[in-house]
Amino acid sequence: MSTADWKNYEPVLIPNTKDLHKIDVYQQNGGYSALKSVLTDKKKWEGPSDVINEVKAANIRGRGGAGFNAGLKWSFMPPADGGPRYLACNGDESEPGTFKDRKIFEYNPHVFIEGALIAAYAMEITSIYVYIRGEYKDYIDMMQKAVDDAYEKGFIGEDILGSGYSVDFYVHSGAGAYICGEETSMLESLEGKRGYPRVKPPFPAQKGLWGRPTTINNIETLSHVVPVINKGADWFAGIGAKNHPGPILYGISGHVNRPGVYELPSGIPVLELINDVAGGMRNGKQLKAVIPGGSSTPILRADQLDGVTMDSDSLREVGTMLGTAGMVVMDEDTDMVDMLWRIAHFYHHESCGQCTPCRDGTGWLEKILLKIKNGDGEIKDLDLLLDITTQMEGRTICALADAAAWPVRHTINRFRDEFEARCKKSVHAIA
Amino acid sequence: MPEVIIDGKRFEYEGEHRLLQFILDQGLEVPFFCYHPSMSAPANCRQCMVKVGQPVKDRETGEYELDDKGDRVIRWFPKLQTSCNIQISDGMVVQTQETDDLVKRAQKDTLEFILANHPLDCPICDQAGECPLQIQTYKYGPEGSRFEVKKVHKPKRVQLGPRVILDAERCINCTRCVRFTNEISKTHQLTITSRGDKNYPVAAPGREFDDAYSLNTVDICPVGALTSADFRFKARVWEMNQTPSIDITNGKGCNIDLWTRDNLVLRITPRQNEEVNDYWMPDIGREAYKIFNENRISRPMQKLENEHVQSSWKNAVETLAEHVEQTDKNDILFIGSPHASVEENYVLMTISDLLAGSTPVFTPHIIDGAGDDFLLTDDQAPNTNGCRLLGLDEQSESELKAAVKKAKLVIMLSDHLIDRGVLETSDFNDTFLAMFATNHGETTKAADLVIPVTTAAEHAASYVNVDKRIQRTVPAKETKYTNRRLDLEMSEGRLDRYGTSFDNWRTEDNKVDCLPLWTISNEITNRLGLDVRFSNGREILSTIADTIPAFSGISYQVIDEHSGIDLNKIEKTVKS
Repeated sequence: MSTADWKNYEPVLIPNTKDLHKIDVYQQNGGYSALKSVLTDKKKWEGPSDVINEVKAANIRGRGGAGFNAGLKWSFMPPADGGPRYLACNGDESEPGTFKDRKIFEYNPHVFIEGALIAAYAMEITSIYVYIRGEYKDYIDMMQKAVDDAYEKGFIGEDILGSGYSVDFYVHSGAGAYICGEETSMLESLEGKRGYPRVKPPFPAQKGLWGRPTTINNIETLSHVVPVINKGADWFAGIGAKNHPGPILYGISGHVNRPGVYELPSGIPVLELINDVAGGMRNGKQLKAVIPGGSSTPILRADQLDGVTMDSDSLREVGTMLGTAGMVVMDEDTDMVDMLWRIAHFYHHESCGQCTPCRDGTGWLEKILLKIKNGDGEIKDLDLLLDITTQMEGRTICALADAAAWPVRHTINRFRDEFEARCKKSVHAIA
Repeated sequence: MPEVIIDGKRFEYEGEHRLLQFILDQGLEVPFFCYHPSMSAPANCRQCMVKVGQPVKDRETGEYELDDKGDRVIRWFPKLQTSCNIQISDGMVVQTQETDDLVKRAQKDTLEFILANHPLDCPICDQAGECPLQIQTYKYGPEGSRFEVKKVHKPKRVQLGPRVILDAERCINCTRCVRFTNEISKTHQLTITSRGDKNYPVAAPGREFDDAYSLNTVDICPVGALTSADFRFKARVWEMNQTPSIDITNGKGCNIDLWTRDNLVLRITPRQNEEVNDYWMPDIGREAYKIFNENRISRPMQKLENEHVQSSWKNAVETLAEHVEQTDKNDILFIGSPHASVEENYVLMTISDLLAGSTPVFTPHIIDGAGDDFLLTDDQAPNTNGCRLLGLDEQSESELKAAVKKAKLVIMLSDHLIDRGVLETSDFNDTFLAMFATNHGETTKAADLVIPVTTAAEHAASYVNVDKRIQRTVPAKETKYTNRRLDLEMSEGRLDRYGTSFDNWRTEDNKVDCLPLWTISNEITNRLGLDVRFSNGREILSTIADTIPAFSGISYQVIDEHSGIDLNKIEKTVKS
């Protein structure tokens, strides 16, 4: 399906099917047929490596933000040695602007469970953990119910569907720290420790949970595995943008008429997503800025959006990225200084404190922005802010420092006049 | 042999090495805070950044690709790397702050971040003078601060445990203390609480940091965040002399440094020795500074009408000599001590042989279960094996008690046998007890004659630990009769070399009126007309090495060169 046909796209992850979260309804709608096919159809799937190849061919790029090819990631797992191997499913969704995995937990938990089971089979994994943010209490309960139902039906557990393959599935509640969404912090947290990112190498595929080979995938990424198995890699690879194919759950928030989560092909023009999908700007206001994929992705001015589509290549050209496709739309009344301070406050609050540049840099950024916000800023503060971001970027174990630095750098660079005006105002006021 | 190029210089290596450690081992420098050679490298301080690259090899031929100038083509890592956690590999090219401006800038930037919320109160900080943050800032840090917003204020004077106090504001979150309790002492008593710039180490609610090795965290804390409750604000490091020694409170003989000022031992810290204690020591060993300073016997004491009165040295010698002369040699018992040095026990052994024709007895000071599988041992004495190897007569506590009851004159060397419950005061009712001792106690109370001798902090002497490793002490304190500038055995501190007498705080009150056992024994043997003379520990050990096979080839020079010698190896050589 070309991007232009997005209006005719039929959702597969969150279709408009009543009670799809119930296992019977899910099965009635073809649920668990992909798992059954993979485990029992020996003519089609000779072994786990066939499944990995199919996923690799589909080019499912991870939906957690980094956008790495999921099949390729699976192939990094070392050969099975008889010991435990883990799949850790990352449901710690806490970046401002990102709220799409919760739709899967709520409306279609079994598509995720089925996808995770197929992934586990493909990588010869014996245990699956789904790590869900603690604040998602209702979704944790829903997931647990879905997992219990799948156990009961024999899709999880010993000798699944008589295939000889066995796997366990655990729902794990997080304690509510943004850093626990970082893959290695999540492993630490799963192990019962404080959420601190691990130094890589060793990478999780070599040494993950409890020192054993582990693959970490996003909830949406794993959910996409089911339609890929059912409909084939070509179907998936043919949807949307060539280098970033497949459907995407766009989470649109901010000053639009219909904020929400929309499943549509990748590569949709940003302006169409805002105007056609999300119902246009609220109260007839003018569009001022867009954060395309969660608060850490560089902001775009409205005049940068012409011809920009929601895929990694197009967004890279204008100096930003797709991230989680959690788009934040801002209208003309948005105060960029206030907005940026709020983002900086978030990253300061959530820095785990392990690495020096992040621990002390995030706080410094926030405090200077607060100073500017409160009318006490000076022009030199803007250059200092930009300097601090270069001191933070690429100097830490995980990407939280980058995530904190990018919004500051790009918002100041793209809306410098507003920041200068606020600073000049304060100088004038003092004078 | 594999090679690594650091700042353009080629180094060969064998085995596996962490890059930072390898750089340090070559005598080069890269600043760091969180790294510690005996613990895991979390790479969280981000201070030891370097630029790292690998030469590009042709896949088919396996040869290095060369550029136009004939130099190897290097593929640099896209980001700077922390050198603490990188393993070196063949051909690796490394640029440190010496040759790369980006590295220099990164290190400066990191220091600027660390100092942002760190109190700049070096003048009043307990760590001043030995603070890596202070030193690295002078060497690699920014010239001024651009941090003009409010610092984070965290709890101060938090009593983490009985011996450790935290000033959370100073913590730079290196996690060395947490990793120490996880990886070295394995008590897991500390963790980090809170997040971001508000975090600091704590013990779990309702628990205290009472780890038997807790004070090691004070040593490894790279800033003044963790301080010793006992030592904090007592002295500045630049005012103290640092003297190598060994722990005499335990059979392990941990290598230590004695820190003295004004002739008082104020602090004891571990001295690195991979063969014995690595970088660590138990807290109890640090409390030994009190033994050297407090409750010391100064001037001989004699019991008159059941009361101790101070005596002159001449009178003490005369009294002991008279009792020796008046007592049948079969009724004289010499008791050696596992708490005293090899040299002291040898001196006692020599006199015993000449006067009574017998060998001194001793009983080990073992408390079953007192040890652990780390540095604490059941053996509470530093020289039990020394006594054994010298050939002292090892007796059980009951045998010793019987021997004391039988004797008319007991000459005892620094072993508080009543205090440790082996003997009772009543055992000496019909016995004259002459005791050479360093500190007052129940045993000295029972003694008829007490002759003060020097402690391990005041003489050079050797001790053989539980693993049969002979190690030695160096005098750190003066007595009434010594002067650190005249005593060649004494370590020389900065103040000795550059300071004035005023700087040295040469308070006479802190000097104990005592003598090394060998010095006083010369007086006694001279009075008794015996032809035996001991000059100093160095010569005594030399004599021992010549006469006792177990100590063959041992001298202070050899001990110093190897930071102690394993006598098991000497024994094997002697036997073969």
